[in-house]
Amino acid sequence: MSRIASNLHLGRTLLASAAVALFSLTVACEANAAATCIKGDRKAPYTVGWANIYSVPTWMKQTEGTIADEVATLKKQGLVKDLMITDAQGNAQTQIQQIQSMVDANIDAIIVEAGSSTALNRVIADACAKGIAVVNFDSLVDTDKLTAKINTDSNEWGGAAAKWLVAQLNGKGKIVVMNGPAGVSVSDDRRKGAQPVLAANPGIEVITETNTEYNVAPAQEAITSLLFAHPDIDGVLSLGGALSAGSVMAFDRQGRAQVPTTGENARQFLELWKAKKLKGWATMQPNWLGALSVYAAVKALQGQDVPAFIKVPLPVIDDTSIDSYLAKAKDFPADGYIYSPYDQALFDKLLAQH
Amino acid sequence: MNLSPSSPRWLYLAIQRRRNRGLNGLYLVVAAFLIVYAILFPGLLSIGGFSKFSQNWFPLALVTMAQALLMLNGGISLAIGPLVSLGAVVAAISMGGPAGAFGGFVAVVVAGLVIGALTGLIVAYMRLPAIIVTLAGSFIITGVALLLLPRPGGYIPDWLSQALAGHQPTAFALLVVILIAWKLFLATPTGIGLYAVGDNPVGAFRSGVPVERIRVVSFAISGLLTALAGLFVAAQTGSGDPVIGTSFTLNSMAGAVLGGVGFLGGKGTMRGAIAGSLLLSVMINVMFFLGFPPVAQYVAQGVIIVGAVAIPVFASRWRKA
Repeated sequence: MSRIASNLHLGRTLLASAAVALFSLTVACEANAAATCIKGDRKAPYTVGWANIYSVPTWMKQTEGTIADEVATLKKQGLVKDLMITDAQGNAQTQIQQIQSMVDANIDAIIVEAGSSTALNRVIADACAKGIAVVNFDSLVDTDKLTAKINTDSNEWGGAAAKWLVAQLNGKGKIVVMNGPAGVSVSDDRRKGAQPVLAANPGIEVITETNTEYNVAPAQEAITSLLFAHPDIDGVLSLGGALSAGSVMAFDRQGRAQVPTTGENARQFLELWKAKKLKGWATMQPNWLGALSVYAAVKALQGQDVPAFIKVPLPVIDDTSIDSYLAKAKDFPADGYIYSPYDQALFDKLLAQH
Repeated sequence: MNLSPSSPRWLYLAIQRRRNRGLNGLYLVVAAFLIVYAILFPGLLSIGGFSKFSQNWFPLALVTMAQALLMLNGGISLAIGPLVSLGAVVAAISMGGPAGAFGGFVAVVVAGLVIGALTGLIVAYMRLPAIIVTLAGSFIITGVALLLLPRPGGYIPDWLSQALAGHQPTAFALLVVILIAWKLFLATPTGIGLYAVGDNPVGAFRSGVPVERIRVVSFAISGLLTALAGLFVAAQTGSGDPVIGTSFTLNSMAGAVLGGVGFLGGKGTMRGAIAGSLLLSVMINVMFFLGFPPVAQYVAQGVIIVGAVAIPVFASRWRKA
């Protein structure tokens, strides 16, 4: 190396030829840059399948709505022919069977909301080997033999919520942490993300934590009994939308002054936030991850290189933006989630990240 | 062949005919579904297609047999699903260890037999209701599975996954072997006692049938079949998941009841139970290929199950009239 550096001329020649080689390599890559699983033998219009683990929760119904909308848009562009939806009714074994049926039917793209992080690995790899675009979002599998995985970062969710709350309390105060069910990865990951922030702020004292289902009633019950025991709670670090609604209602029922509360984009929480004039902050798991998955699959089938992991930044709702969310509340179910707006430009931007 | 009404052979055939009578309707429904499925998806008739289909059906067939076995002698198990999970977990954590795949297989067999036999001992000798014992057992087994493997993972050798759940009908072949073994088992005194104990425990006892021992044996075999279903699921998915089996409890009962196995014991056949589980499995695929939306699938599923149970009843009334 030192000899080359000493000979400037030779060094330049080498650099130049290296640059040429690199450039031609890039061109070659771009010419047949295809996403994982894609063989290029499938032509539009495509048939898309959505293999859902459980379609009953409101979040899932809304997500199915964004998928159906996206398919309708792509249909108009002549890119998609048909959408097939399966519901495994919570049974990962049934989901394997349904994805197998999608492979048997030789559809072009499969969107997966997984019921188990491992159980679907082999059937997904089978689908991938047949050149089917497989896109997995929200609840992820741990195989890499698929086109793309799409999700937000649950660690970041917890961290951002904790940071906001610490700032609200000026780094000093007693708080309650509300978690989702124990042993569920989303709930664990959000809590883990909050931990470094709490540890860095010793003035914040966590009085106690709750673990409940992501529902209003059990959360309200848990906070109600906590309020009897603790006369001084300065903030609620709630790591789920319906949980926050339960907390706000519990404070309200007991005639206690509202405290700064974090949460999610659940319509009920956002409406209470405004009505009770509390200091609030919320993020979300956008329902349009479903629509984005369909879009990514179709782009991959068309030959575009789609990143193996698409990290979706968490949209934030605060006092400056809450009105824009509540303005469209009537378009969303009463127990649903008011998600941030999305369009093709946003999707293109997300797909362009590497 | 001597077929006079007094010969044992004649008696056997007469009993079999009577047992089959209530099931002809179910067989017709299953056959109709299979034909529709084969028309919608001709690939079913290829080796690969048939293999994949039978692999998805196989664990359900095993647990339905395990449940039917208990129901035939008046028992029941609410721990089927958790035991499938435990079988999968034991396989996934032991196969990567020093004992290897064979050691893992032995561990699963032992776990199934021991847990089944323990349950049977409690039910038979302490005279506790099976439904309560297995309900308690289901919590304990779920807990143990979660302790052994808190998050899905573990290791299953790829060759085992390929052998059991690859592109050849190994699963179906195993099912045939197990059915033949069941037929042979029924010819043993214990096998005959199984029906007798379920049908009339007091009568069986007075005839010298070791009632308690047969209950324990049936729970042990049932536990074995269930744990093996777990092993198969682990091989099929290439990993262990501590909650993968949950829905097998209800589905095993649905399959057995669809197949004409009564809750009160002594009534029903294994072939009926197998047909019941086949209907539950093929139904999912047929609804997919017919393009039913999810909501309609819930409704259709209920209608098909009620229909399959009702048709034989109406058929027998119509025959009597």
